[in-house]
Amino acid sequence: MIAVDQLRKIYRVHKRQPGLAAALRSLIHRPTEDVRAVDGISFHINDGERVGFLGPNGAGKTTTLKMLSGLLYPTSGTLEVDGFLPQKRERAFLQRITLVMGQKQQLLWDLPPSETFLLNRALYDVPEKEFRETLAELTKLLELEALVGKPTRQLSLGERMKCELAAALLHRPRVLFLDEPTIGLDVAMQATVRDFVRAYNERFNATVLLTSHDMDDVAALCPRVIVIDHGSLIWDGPLDDLVKKVKPHKQLRLRLARPVDAADLADLGRVVEQSATSVVLQVAQAELQAVVAKVLSSLPLVDLSVEDPPLEDVMRDLFAGAAAGRDAS
Amino acid sequence: MASARASPGHGLRVLRALARTSLALTLQYRLEVLGEGLLSMLWLATALVPVWVVFGKRGAVEGWSYPEMLLVIAWFTLLKAFLEGTINPSLLAVIAHVRQGTLDFVLLKPADAQLLVSFSKVEPSKLVDVFSAFALAGFALHRLHRVPSPLDLAAALLLFLAALAVLYSIAIIVISIAFVAVRVDNLIFLFGSIFDLARWPSTIFRGTLAVIFTYVLPLALMTTYPALALLGRLRLPTALGALAGALVFTLVSRAAWMASLRRYTSASS
Repeated sequence: MIAVDQLRKIYRVHKRQPGLAAALRSLIHRPTEDVRAVDGISFHINDGERVGFLGPNGAGKTTTLKMLSGLLYPTSGTLEVDGFLPQKRERAFLQRITLVMGQKQQLLWDLPPSETFLLNRALYDVPEKEFRETLAELTKLLELEALVGKPTRQLSLGERMKCELAAALLHRPRVLFLDEPTIGLDVAMQATVRDFVRAYNERFNATVLLTSHDMDDVAALCPRVIVIDHGSLIWDGPLDDLVKKVKPHKQLRLRLARPVDAADLADLGRVVEQSATSVVLQVAQAELQAVVAKVLSSLPLVDLSVEDPPLEDVMRDLFAGAAAGRDAS
Repeated sequence: MASARASPGHGLRVLRALARTSLALTLQYRLEVLGEGLLSMLWLATALVPVWVVFGKRGAVEGWSYPEMLLVIAWFTLLKAFLEGTINPSLLAVIAHVRQGTLDFVLLKPADAQLLVSFSKVEPSKLVDVFSAFALAGFALHRLHRVPSPLDLAAALLLFLAALAVLYSIAIIVISIAFVAVRVDNLIFLFGSIFDLARWPSTIFRGTLAVIFTYVLPLALMTTYPALALLGRLRLPTALGALAGALVFTLVSRAAWMASLRRYTSASS
């Protein structure tokens, strides 16, 4: 279980004006400024949950993950991960967690990933038999067989990320902190990573806290999302509810046998896109049934599908709403 | 899940795994190892040139004869093998970790972070220096017609370990500074240049330099005292003082490391 209560992290940063004179002045006097990276957030995550941790750049996501994994001391507030205080960095705690950072790697650059695996085996004190079993399982799930013997520097980004995941999970952690694990990967590789994270979570009942700017990751993996902006929590709940609250509309995608006039579509809903024979309509959730019936009876329909609005749009509206709220206050 | 408590001998297994990894890392570049080995021998030859020049004109310098001086250079070469073979490469690796932010991965491991960064890289080519040092010491003792007693040998070995502890502690202090001032490359080169002075017996330095090289940067402890021990000329109080000094350096470096780590974990992002 992860319990976070009124967590704060304030960085003191030096600031100075541009220019040589300011540079010289800063030698004598360096004014500082407090930056509230995380500003009093609270949440609980149960064992085995997969939670998306979202927010724009600089929202405080990585700082929070680093506090949860014991890399940073909180300025105030309390946090507990699987019964431990992370900042104490106890051995038993470090053996229960893992942190995967899509933009940094732990694999030894000049050596094959198998060498990193062996090193991690010694560091995490994994018994030989358990190590062989886990490695075999990870190799199968992530299709690593052809990769583990090649020097890391010769692997593609996607291949490296698969090996990173294996290196990070060899000790079978119970809590996974994943910071942008699919960044820079192609669509197929992203799907592989997502499937793997889900499989690991289900197999070991592991808790997963995932940050990602790729909303497909979140939609595929996280039934619940926690959203922070400017260090404050602005949403904690089911992803579906967030979509319904921010964008209380569905999208009707229509394929028509022949073009129709815009006037024929006007009273069905808002036209989001229209080309010769394809139309996307935005329809309020409450009116969906009636509009679909009308479409079926009045338009030369070939195909129809009902979709949620893109999650990117949901998030954009959510952050815009939060910014407007800040401006107003 | 892996057991929460470390099984017995975990530290040793970690050390072995680190040594294995860094050896594998070096052996990836076989030609480089060979080149480095040849270069080490060349450096030893250049280290001897000033001694030949000085002793070409006089029989002794500050009470040190030519073979006695060779004995100091042998200790210097041995210590340099450790400095350049394991301490410096690991130190540079940590500085890179701090700059790139990958130290996070070190701190996330359930093992002592200082141990992990201290042995992250070795240069096996420096073994050439170890062999050269033994050959040089053997030659010097042969010229002196002296076979050290087991007690002298034990004292020399103990003092050498103390010298290693001091050298390692200075490296850890430099690493600790790297957490605050990220660019410390110059500090490493400065230390390398000062360390070069340890090839001379400490008694040739006078005044302020003598004080600095005995107490602040204890070059005397590093090469002169082990050589004196082999010659049977080291006084007991000096030996005990050297060991105590090494202990103080070790404790100070550990404190500096822990303080830097606290600073890192409370400030990095």
